[in-house]
Amino acid sequence: MSARKLAAGLGACAVLLAAAGCGGSAPSGAAGVAAGRDEGPVKIGALHPVSGANAVDGQQMRRGARMAVEAINAAGGIRSLGGRKVELETGDTQGKAEVGQSEAQRLISAGAVGLVGTYQSAVSTNVAVVAERNRVPFVMDVTASDAIFSHGYRYAFRVQPGSAAIAGAAARYLKEVSERAGKPVRKVAFLHEQTDFGSGAAEAFTAAAERLGIEVGPDISYDALTVSDLTAQITQVKASGADVLAVAGYYRDSLLAAKAVAAVKPALNAIWGVSNGAYDQPKFVTDGGAAAERIFSTNYHFDAQSPQTRALRADYQRRYGAPMRTGAVLAYDAVQVIARGVERAGTTDAEKVRDAIASSKVEPLTVGTGPISFAPNGDNRDALPVLMQVQGGGVKQVYPPEKAESQPNYSVTWRS
Amino acid sequence: MSDIGTKAQSPPTPAVRRRLPGGATASVLKRAAVTGGLVAAAIAVALIKSGSGLVVWQSVVTGLLMGGLYGLIAMGLTLIFGVLDIVNFAHGALLAIAMFIAFGVVQGTGLHPYLTLLVAVPALFLIGAAVHRGLLGGTGGASLENQLLITLGLSLLLENGLLMFFGAEPKNVALPGDFQFSLFGAVVPGARLYAFLGAVLIGAALYWMLRRTRFGTAIRAVAANRPGAELVGVNVRRVHTLTFAIGTACAGAAAVLAAPLVTVTPTLGEQFNITAFVVVVLGGMGNVAGALAGGLLIGLVEQLTTIYMGGQSSLLGVFAVFLVVLFLRPQGLFGRRA
Repeated sequence: MSARKLAAGLGACAVLLAAAGCGGSAPSGAAGVAAGRDEGPVKIGALHPVSGANAVDGQQMRRGARMAVEAINAAGGIRSLGGRKVELETGDTQGKAEVGQSEAQRLISAGAVGLVGTYQSAVSTNVAVVAERNRVPFVMDVTASDAIFSHGYRYAFRVQPGSAAIAGAAARYLKEVSERAGKPVRKVAFLHEQTDFGSGAAEAFTAAAERLGIEVGPDISYDALTVSDLTAQITQVKASGADVLAVAGYYRDSLLAAKAVAAVKPALNAIWGVSNGAYDQPKFVTDGGAAAERIFSTNYHFDAQSPQTRALRADYQRRYGAPMRTGAVLAYDAVQVIARGVERAGTTDAEKVRDAIASSKVEPLTVGTGPISFAPNGDNRDALPVLMQVQGGGVKQVYPPEKAESQPNYSVTWRS
Repeated sequence: MSDIGTKAQSPPTPAVRRRLPGGATASVLKRAAVTGGLVAAAIAVALIKSGSGLVVWQSVVTGLLMGGLYGLIAMGLTLIFGVLDIVNFAHGALLAIAMFIAFGVVQGTGLHPYLTLLVAVPALFLIGAAVHRGLLGGTGGASLENQLLITLGLSLLLENGLLMFFGAEPKNVALPGDFQFSLFGAVVPGARLYAFLGAVLIGAALYWMLRRTRFGTAIRAVAANRPGAELVGVNVRRVHTLTFAIGTACAGAAAVLAAPLVTVTPTLGEQFNITAFVVVVLGGMGNVAGALAGGLLIGLVEQLTTIYMGGQSSLLGVFAVFLVVLFLRPQGLFGRRA
């Protein structure tokens, strides 16, 4: 009897875990389009995970979006509409795809002329479907997956560089930085979490690196949900003779990897984050301590050189008592894109706003090679991933040279 | 079926004597030898597969160190299961609570992390007693659905409470003066070694308590034959509450020892819950020494799985072993047939 009880319990446990990991995507029925009201404030919908495991980032991003709206209103609102104010309608996706979908529907019904969001690729995938069906522009702030842009959607846009762009830049920067340092990279071991995010980054990086003549292997993956030690995996890296370790993971596991490297001390020249969830966070610098120093990270980033970005981040720090993360700056940019679209369209008609967004150029507060402008598939053609490095207890932009705050230091702390 | 958890039909006294927790009889030794042989074979295969002695050796060392911690977490669970017949899904969430207590105390007072044992263990003992008195008192041996709903509900409540009070931002408990050394080439971090030694020590203390103290005898009597124990004047309700509290206090001790090794988040318990349940079944339900042995085995299997099948979840290997053991020895490796 007891064994049966336990087995049933374990089953329930597994089901719960599985349910937490994935969300269904049932398309909802009739779409009540109510976008584009002619009076009152112009509404922009913001969808972020403000509760659940990613609540920290979700809250940051909602605040970023709100600050953009405040800035637009302070500058006189939408001038082409006689100074009509902008209003942020917020929705909580809870990090779940199906919740994001219903929240998107709600915000559109409430009259949003455009949506920004959502932080998780799976949620954005669902929201993009709703936006497409209702013909409302959806400007993604943080969404790494490139698959969304393979459907030929007309209303989906994205501000951040996609995962393939980041992985490609990571390989290119690695080759260039290592050659400049006189220690050209030979072999990269790739450690990544095993879902779409980590495996996708590893695959894209491997393809790009091999084109540049860099050998990639071994490819080591782990389960980010359950892993609590990566020492054995790093020992494998040590035994492989790789001279660089690339890591694509979430915060907790990437921190574990950094600590395991500090313990095992493999013969590496660099640790190289690719779309890494930890290595460009101020919190990682404190949590990792000595183990964090000199770790590189290729990712999207706020523009540390831009005075406007600096002012915005200082304002955020003052108001909320925490450093403003890149996700929040991207949300700020995404709201700007929609507001500029409305401004240029001179109407809240969603179709015209969509066309205006597709052809507009908006100066970003995140790093780019120029103003935000969209390729025909909706992806930001001027997004630029940057290389960052933990230096002297802070995260610095180090490459490409025109975006660098400091020189890359291609070495590790435990080897001279 | 279990060492201390069976409602035995036979007379209590000889039954209790025969069902000592983890009693080191010849047959247990034989099973341990068989298990050891299989583990040795698994290590040999890993050696062939990876081609690097260092990688396998590090895996074995890491696996055993992790395993000690798994065993410690499972000890409380197995005690609760063996005596009270309660499948406690809130164990992981209680572990998370204890970690946040440790984190809070270290932050607030600057105390050495291990000294927070003095706060976390008594606190968890009291929480355990309160939970049992308030929520579970009436469910001992009651329907599975009730226990499941209560403990799962409690776990959700605790996790979300932590999320509300502490936020989702991951926390770290740093160990001052952390060190590491090399054991024949394998890295042994000091914090992991302490956690392992702590697990062995606490396991030994529990074992001693069950075997040598009056209270331990009462626990085993209640587990073996509740009406019988009642007849000879044991306060069954009190024994139940105290057992639940002790089991929960074990989670408190495990949490403090594990805190420097992990990133503390409200949902951290989930990470250990499933593993702990597998360990309980493997070790024999209600068998404290078995929990430690099962923990070591699972730690090893988890690490070796990553060598065998790089890309897969290490839980795959854990569940493979789990299913094989359930099939061949449904009472667990170290449990006995009812």
